[in-house]
Amino acid sequence: MQRGVRNMSAAKVKMREKKMRNQPSSVQYSASPRHVESSAQKNGGAAPVTGGGDGGPSGVHLNTERSKSPHPKGGWVRGHQRDGGDYAKEMPKHITAGAFATARASEVRTMLKATTKTTGSCHVFGALPKHMRRRAMSHNTKRLPCRLRDVANRMREKSLQASSKKKKEESKGKSRKARRQHGNLLLEFNRRQRKNKWLETHIWHAKRFHMVKKWGYCLGDRPTYKCYRSSYRAMSSHCLLQDLSYYCCIELQGEEEKLLASLSQLTSKEAGPTFAAALSLSGQRQGSVDVYRAGQYPMQPLGPVTFLWRPRAQGSTHRQLWIWAHPTIKPDLLPELQTVCQCCEAVLPPAAPAVIPTEGVSALEPEPKPEKTPESKQITGTKRKQTFKDASEPSEKKILGDGTRSPTTPVTWKSSSNGIVISDLTMEIVRYRLIGPQSHSVLVETMEAATDCDGMNTSQPSCLWWPEHCKNESKMNLHQQQADVFHLLKGVYSTGELPSGTVLGLTVDDPRLTLPTKKVKALPCVKQAQEVEEEKRRELMLRGAPAHCCQSSLWESSVRDNVTVNKISNKLLNHMRSELLVPGSRLSPTPLQGRVPILLVHQPGKQVGHEMTSWGAGWDLLLPKGWGMAFWVPLVYRGVRIGGLTMSLKHSQNKGAAHFPHDYPDCPAGARFQEEQEAQLLYEFKRYPPAKRNNYIKHGCLAPFCCPWQQLAEEWELILREGGEEREEDRLTQTSTKADAVMEVATPREDVTVTKPPSRVTVLRNKKSLRLLSGWCRPTTSKGQRARRSCGVLPLDRAAMALFLSAHGMSLVWVRLSLLSKGKPELHAMVCVPTAEDLMLCGGGPQEPPHRDHFKSPFRRQKKGSKAAAAASSLCSDKKEGKESDPAPASEPNSTAPEGPKSSLALPMGLWPDPLPSVTAHCSRVMLGWVTQGDFSLSSGRGEALGLVSVAGLLNTLFNQPAERRGTLLLRNPASLHYRVAKVNLEV
Amino acid sequence: MTEPRSPGMSSMPQTAPVHTESTSPAVEMDPVEYTLRKRLPRKLPKRRNDVYVNMKTDFRAQLARCQKLLEGGGHREICVHGLGLAINRAINIALQLQASSQGALQLAANTSTVELVDDLEPEDPDEAGEPMTRTRNNSAIHIKVFYPDPQ
Repeated sequence: MQRGVRNMSAAKVKMREKKMRNQPSSVQYSASPRHVESSAQKNGGAAPVTGGGDGGPSGVHLNTERSKSPHPKGGWVRGHQRDGGDYAKEMPKHITAGAFATARASEVRTMLKATTKTTGSCHVFGALPKHMRRRAMSHNTKRLPCRLRDVANRMREKSLQASSKKKKEESKGKSRKARRQHGNLLLEFNRRQRKNKWLETHIWHAKRFHMVKKWGYCLGDRPTYKCYRSSYRAMSSHCLLQDLSYYCCIELQGEEEKLLASLSQLTSKEAGPTFAAALSLSGQRQGSVDVYRAGQYPMQPLGPVTFLWRPRAQGSTHRQLWIWAHPTIKPDLLPELQTVCQCCEAVLPPAAPAVIPTEGVSALEPEPKPEKTPESKQITGTKRKQTFKDASEPSEKKILGDGTRSPTTPVTWKSSSNGIVISDLTMEIVRYRLIGPQSHSVLVETMEAATDCDGMNTSQPSCLWWPEHCKNESKMNLHQQQADVFHLLKGVYSTGELPSGTVLGLTVDDPRLTLPTKKVKALPCVKQAQEVEEEKRRELMLRGAPAHCCQSSLWESSVRDNVTVNKISNKLLNHMRSELLVPGSRLSPTPLQGRVPILLVHQPGKQVGHEMTSWGAGWDLLLPKGWGMAFWVPLVYRGVRIGGLTMSLKHSQNKGAAHFPHDYPDCPAGARFQEEQEAQLLYEFKRYPPAKRNNYIKHGCLAPFCCPWQQLAEEWELILREGGEEREEDRLTQTSTKADAVMEVATPREDVTVTKPPSRVTVLRNKKSLRLLSGWCRPTTSKGQRARRSCGVLPLDRAAMALFLSAHGMSLVWVRLSLLSKGKPELHAMVCVPTAEDLMLCGGGPQEPPHRDHFKSPFRRQKKGSKAAAAASSLCSDKKEGKESDPAPASEPNSTAPEGPKSSLALPMGLWPDPLPSVTAHCSRVMLGWVTQGDFSLSSGRGEALGLVSVAGLLNTLFNQPAERRGTLLLRNPASLHYRVAKVNLEV
Repeated sequence: MTEPRSPGMSSMPQTAPVHTESTSPAVEMDPVEYTLRKRLPRKLPKRRNDVYVNMKTDFRAQLARCQKLLEGGGHREICVHGLGLAINRAINIALQLQASSQGALQLAANTSTVELVDDLEPEDPDEAGEPMTRTRNNSAIHIKVFYPDPQ
């Protein structure tokens, strides 16, 4: 009993505080018996609390307390107290009833409060053990046991009331009706697209697609319905439609020679046709080039662009050129264009042509329009909106917008020296892409060549462009010819039959007029045409549309504006249709505003390779802005499928083409994309619980989320250099020991890592070199034509290899890999070199022995032990790493897996910390590169991948392989240990 | 790939392909190099009972497809089309069908000529080098395999 005083520890104090928290302030318990006296005095002087009232009815609280502890003592002190026995001394002599009762009253109140209040979760279901809880108990209280039902019902009502109150508070002042009014709705839309611009088809897409915010736009990523296979089927047998209006168009105007001279700095002939290619220059074909920074050809690429020349006007050298680029290229491309064209003066845009809207627009409208600068046009501030709220103004403003530039920047630049004018036409032209063999039948069915304005009094000038156009005899002739060519398309069976890149200008009627009442699938109607027709069709198939038919009024900005402003609203059109005598018949005469200039541009399908030629060919439809939905819905009514961004990726994957920006790691946009992708993948990885994550270290995968291309290229250069040195040394002396070689390797590697930034890795785009490499990739003894073809090129020997490597040693090259057996390659799968035994082995492919996670055990140890020990271990492992890292290609994986610095605490488990060890020699098979797109290919029925490999590594591999098995590589997914055998295709 | 054959009988380009720039010393075949790119043969609308034979698909698979059409598909007749190299195979398939039917099927063969289009793209992307298009002809066979009408 007498165990000696223990000083109250911190925990005890805390506990006591917790106990006292809910006590009334009037009652105080002494902390220790020494203070009893004083506390008793404080307590109203009436009665000493401790030990008092042991028989009294008011001392309930203390009585119970005392009954628990056999030895009554002063205060709420746990444990036995030394002087606990001397309570007899403090026994009060008398009690004043009134004061005693008041002092107890508050105590009693607290106690009663405490007994009624439920502890823990206030949820009723918390009271039930887990095995008795049922789904939807909160919904249906009858699922609860009887004793809890009442409480649950009460709670439910309470929560219902609370939520309804909250909702009421949240709702804004405006009624739903007010919010849904057209003007207010548009205001809301404008507010919502302040940051990320909407395409014209946005609302259509938003109802059906998962939208993503990308590149300053809101774009449809993929439909909410199942569509993977049906979209593929549409692409290969009917038609898939995409809205590509987010592509940026840059217009260049000027003298032909000067334009070509300026633009030639951006491209090189070695990488294929340039801006000056004869057919493109005439305006008959669309061209595509890879653009580089001015004069930097093999280095610093910007990305792929397509371009379109306006056909020459008679006797004029003034030309107009449209360059279409991905929005991520534009920030780099536009300054580059300005530099090469010496266009630095921003031009205040000329007053917009005064176009007078003819319908439905209030008379006040045209007045502010002419002096509106684009800056003011693009301001979407609500204040301004309020002033224009009531008119049709917002609806027009909605279509003016551009995600890639800030509203205050100018859009036109002029050069004082050579007269070139650059203007940014982003969002000025709507671009739809139709992919598939039947896309021309969809177009033919949707659109009709414009009818001329018959019967109208053509004498008086009109504010519309079409009547003016009709007056010009030559223009009408041209229109007739274009219409004839367009009709010829009916006789074509597949879009792929036409020459790739063909351009056709046209003027068509408003397609809303011929909208079918039900969705119908557009099908070709190929008939045995007459001789003349047949001859013409043949001509079209061989040479495309004649040069003069490529002209279109879409090139004129005045016509574009006129058409945009004068578009009949849907409401008015429907009203006009409702007044027709025969419901559903065509409106006649066609309203004058319903003539739209368009451009049709043929898109080539798969051009490389021998299989599935011209798969995925299609047409691009260029429209003036504002007409997007007017064409979109009629196209959809012709039974096309709609695809999003995912489908365009799949399209290029099936085409075997590189997709921008995914497969362009050497372009600034591509590098940015890779960073974003890495962050995204890492984020997704971290969202898994740690036990469910892949341990990529155990799988021997150094970089599952990003690809260190630079490191790869450098390492391969080093390996080859080392190989060369060794050979020479062998020839000269025979004394080079292994240790020396390792030392030699170790030193340049350090240098390389230091001088990393300047030497950037590029993708090989030189056509001639690619062709050479492509010939070497094929097995030489394969049958027939291929063998004959490849004998035309240089045989792969040491001299040729050295020559090639001296030029492109640090480059990467795109290769298409098709798996020979099972397997589906995934993103960032590793491309590896098979060993000699792997080549002999037929069937499944080799296995990678599992790696050990050297980071895991120290991590645990560190948790237990002190930090000093961990630091020491990391120090010694650092040293070890320095010794062990030898990039020798054929070494045991377990020995090469070095222990890196232990900075992995920030990184999640299963990933390599940042300074990666040698990427090439990490696994049992030497690494060549990574896959950037990979999937099961529905067109070939096998897994196919597009990846980038190091040129040096690829050549070395090919050189060492026997001629009949040349071009066989291994492919391994990041989360797998199984290597799959794949065939390399390098197609030019 | 690199043989600029004389533009065919119905060749379109009028520009005589006489470019004198010698591109690579390695290939001395001709001063001008063109890449030959064959377009697909012109397709015609396809009925359900049309079978186009190619050389890539497995022979047995194509044979099985025809048999399925005749037996399970309920067609009284099918057409087997073969072009160029696939003519042999088309004939082979038709004869196999006939043999396996114990004489119930009859054949009626037609031949035709199909015009094919080739694109010639200049390898050296010079301003003057104009892509050419040429046509050439190839033979085709269309075999009707049918059950004769019972008289």
